[in-house]
Amino acid sequence: MTAVEKTSPLPVRPRRGRTGGGLGPLLLRRLRDGVITLVLVVAIIFILAHVVGDPALVYAPIDATDEEIERIARNFGLDRPFHERFGSYFADVFTGDFGESMWQQRPALQAVGEALPDTVQLTLVGIVGAAVFGIIGGILAGSRPGSLFDRGSNFLSVTALSVPNFWLGLLLIVVFAVQFGIFPTSGRIGPSSIVLPALTIAIVHGGRIFQLVRSATVEEMSKPYVRVARSKGFPHRRVLWGHVLRNTGLTTATIAGWEYVRLWGGAVFAIEYVFAWPGIGTLTINAAHRQDFFVLQAAVIIAGAFVIVANLIVDLLYRVIDNRIKAS
Amino acid sequence: MPVNVVDTDRSASRLRAPLTAVNRRLSTIAAGRAWWGFAAFLALMAAWAIAPDFFAPYDAERLDPRNRLLGPFSDSTLGSHWAGTDSLGIDLFSQMVQGARLTFYIAIVATLLGTGIGVTLGMLAGYFGGFWDRLIMRLGEAQTAMPMFLVAILLLSLLGPSVTILIIVLPTLVWPIFARVVRAETLQIKQATYIEAAVATGCSTPAVLGRHVLPNVVPRILVLFVVEIGHVMLAEAGLSFLGVGVQPPDITWGLLIADGRPLLTVAWWLTILPGVLLSITVLSLNILSRRFEQYAGAAA
Repeated sequence: MTAVEKTSPLPVRPRRGRTGGGLGPLLLRRLRDGVITLVLVVAIIFILAHVVGDPALVYAPIDATDEEIERIARNFGLDRPFHERFGSYFADVFTGDFGESMWQQRPALQAVGEALPDTVQLTLVGIVGAAVFGIIGGILAGSRPGSLFDRGSNFLSVTALSVPNFWLGLLLIVVFAVQFGIFPTSGRIGPSSIVLPALTIAIVHGGRIFQLVRSATVEEMSKPYVRVARSKGFPHRRVLWGHVLRNTGLTTATIAGWEYVRLWGGAVFAIEYVFAWPGIGTLTINAAHRQDFFVLQAAVIIAGAFVIVANLIVDLLYRVIDNRIKAS
Repeated sequence: MPVNVVDTDRSASRLRAPLTAVNRRLSTIAAGRAWWGFAAFLALMAAWAIAPDFFAPYDAERLDPRNRLLGPFSDSTLGSHWAGTDSLGIDLFSQMVQGARLTFYIAIVATLLGTGIGVTLGMLAGYFGGFWDRLIMRLGEAQTAMPMFLVAILLLSLLGPSVTILIIVLPTLVWPIFARVVRAETLQIKQATYIEAAVATGCSTPAVLGRHVLPNVVPRILVLFVVEIGHVMLAEAGLSFLGVGVQPPDITWGLLIADGRPLLTVAWWLTILPGVLLSITVLSLNILSRRFEQYAGAAA
């Protein structure tokens, strides 16, 4: 019966009360959620590393004897009870002690910290490019469904997001670096080094932003207010960039934000590896090849924390742009 | 007043009618033709996956060092190699045919698992709201906040790379998307009068979810499912490319791209052709899903 009460089809007004309606309480609530999420992430990694796998085996050299492995286990305190290990692990992680990288001979956190700005820079440049491609193209295409521009750009975007990102990177290297020699093949030599990896991101993720903005626009164009605006004699351009853009803005912002978070879910790391961009992806994959568990773990947690913050910002933007959404 | 509103609405739709009809016809023709071509391509790929030995012209494990790194459309003593040969002289086309099975197998199984988890949790979250909603969505968020490539690398260096681990890791990539979409749909659907009516007439909650909510989200799920098979395929290719996914002697298209990478400047076809095949497959899945979307839209 309560379900009926809750789902009453009456117009929904922003509810105040227990949840609060302002941005301040919302920020606090989302921060709390973020911290809980981060704790979950760390717990999952602990479980992966200490329950599913045996860390002593990971730290030990490949040819280690059983006694050596046991000694390593004692050194790391792996013979202590589970809850003690869990507690000290959390204490270490949240005081910034991620262990020493065996490969780089320095704290793992330092290695990851050095790589983080490069990844952030690349992802931001890439996603801005993707948003520009996607939003302008999506609104233009969606405003005239079935037109030549719509069909052409539509097909291009579907193709763009069907292509493996790392393969697209290799293709761009072959064409622009090897064949024409316009941009460096890989590494980070000068400002032009960012062009190809960022372009790869912009093409792949721009394709998806385009698709979603386009369908949001198509849906929006069929709504009565567009007809009303048109019948009032507003020019097409004004209806498009005034009314429709504002009303799809919420969707668009969420899409771009979600896309940015998604980028951190994988694409950027493979692309970094292809272009030898000195970010977290390249670091992590090299660490994996060297079985450097501490760097791997630090990279996952730091990148995870970063994504949580990014999520939080996207969510706040979402509320700011459309405060009609009730804070739930 | 109400009469006025209806009137405006009618005249507006009358004005729009011819334009919409033309547009619809154009897009139907374009999509209709494309759809058949891509569906046929997918059918061919499925045939490759089911009976690779029938389609592969040569043994994909047979070395022929004298005929290594032959370009596309060249001939050897064995016959023609329209996709060229690799650094050991193995026919690339045969390898691509052999790679279809594992590529499709991993993608479909992993996506099915992810869909099942995502749809169930999304419906529960959307329908019940409150605690379950927050718990499930935060789990999804935690999942999304874990850069899955890095987690996969972490997992695989702990457990050793294998197809089984891949099939466990890949669904975690897709379930939050299904959960989000289904939750949003469920939130809308549960405000509908027919849900209210169902609850009022004494429908049990599983019945409401299974009979009234689920059928209404199925079109969205179907569209998403086909798209996500492609995404999972791309993810598997990425992981295999980075050396933490499928391991030789198994073959997937992603692994073929990885194998060709060191020879990129010498033998471009080893990297480019498997990538083209993978791209067209994912493109076909995307086109097909848009076709479903149109049908779903027409039905609604």
